[in-house]
Amino acid sequence: MSQAGELLAKVANQDSTAFQQLYDLFADRVYRYAFTILHNKHLAEEIAQETMVAVWNGASRFAGRSKPSTWIFGIARNQALTLLRKEKKAETTGSPELVQADPSKHIIQHERVMTALGELSADHREVVYLTFYEGLSYGEISGILGIPSGTVKSRMFHAKRKLAEVLA
Amino acid sequence: MNTCTTIRELIPWYVNGTLSVDEARHVAAHLSQCEACREELIQNMQLSIEVRRAFSELEGMRSESKKDVLKRTTGQQLAHLDVGSFVLGFSFGASYQKGRIPIRGDLKLLGRRIRLISNDREDYNE
Repeated sequence: MSQAGELLAKVANQDSTAFQQLYDLFADRVYRYAFTILHNKHLAEEIAQETMVAVWNGASRFAGRSKPSTWIFGIARNQALTLLRKEKKAETTGSPELVQADPSKHIIQHERVMTALGELSADHREVVYLTFYEGLSYGEISGILGIPSGTVKSRMFHAKRKLAEVLA
Repeated sequence: MNTCTTIRELIPWYVNGTLSVDEARHVAAHLSQCEACREELIQNMQLSIEVRRAFSELEGMRSESKKDVLKRTTGQQLAHLDVGSFVLGFSFGASYQKGRIPIRGDLKLLGRRIRLISNDREDYNE
């Protein structure tokens, strides 16, 4: 069993030390992944927190059919998409904006590649992130996103083409 | 779909080393004979490095974030009991978390965990 798998098993037994180790292993990665979907670091941090709380509460349900990282990223994705749906609803009903101007954007603008990544749709950006930053296989990405492997490859193809245009 | 198109679809995962042995051999054999796909490989390797660098430089989470999560999760442990072995065992835990006292009891059977007692409604399925 992997280190993350062993930690998850202990977390299922309410082992707080194991949870802290699991937090150190995944929270920052979840935050960066959530950023690819939300493109807002404050919301990404919120999602990272909610995801780790969900991991604590749901660790006993992890059956080991997938890798712990696949399971955790899947939770993060669901949380991020739920938040996006709430944002859209808030916008259409005229509620105060949930998404505020992200001060980090000014920093990001100075980063050529990050700016180019910002030009991608969230669907394309997360495939690029999961492939090149997380080093996941297209099968694992397919599992997290709930789409066929062919669609993962297709999104990567279009993402690279767009990046090449922006970075040219 | 021609061979170059098929190979180029796989190159990102050839670069990150997650293709199956057969797929990787197939890609490598094609690359040895196709200059255009070798160029595509180099571009993917450069992109991989740039993406990793860009995300690494992204400002991280607040230092208080971990404390916030720990307050909402592990809280203060009140009781913990773990008996038995890998084959058959039972675990029981209770803690104090933000005015709640979640209690959980699990039967452990051959490494699998079956929840018997829980007063916590928040659960996530795999």
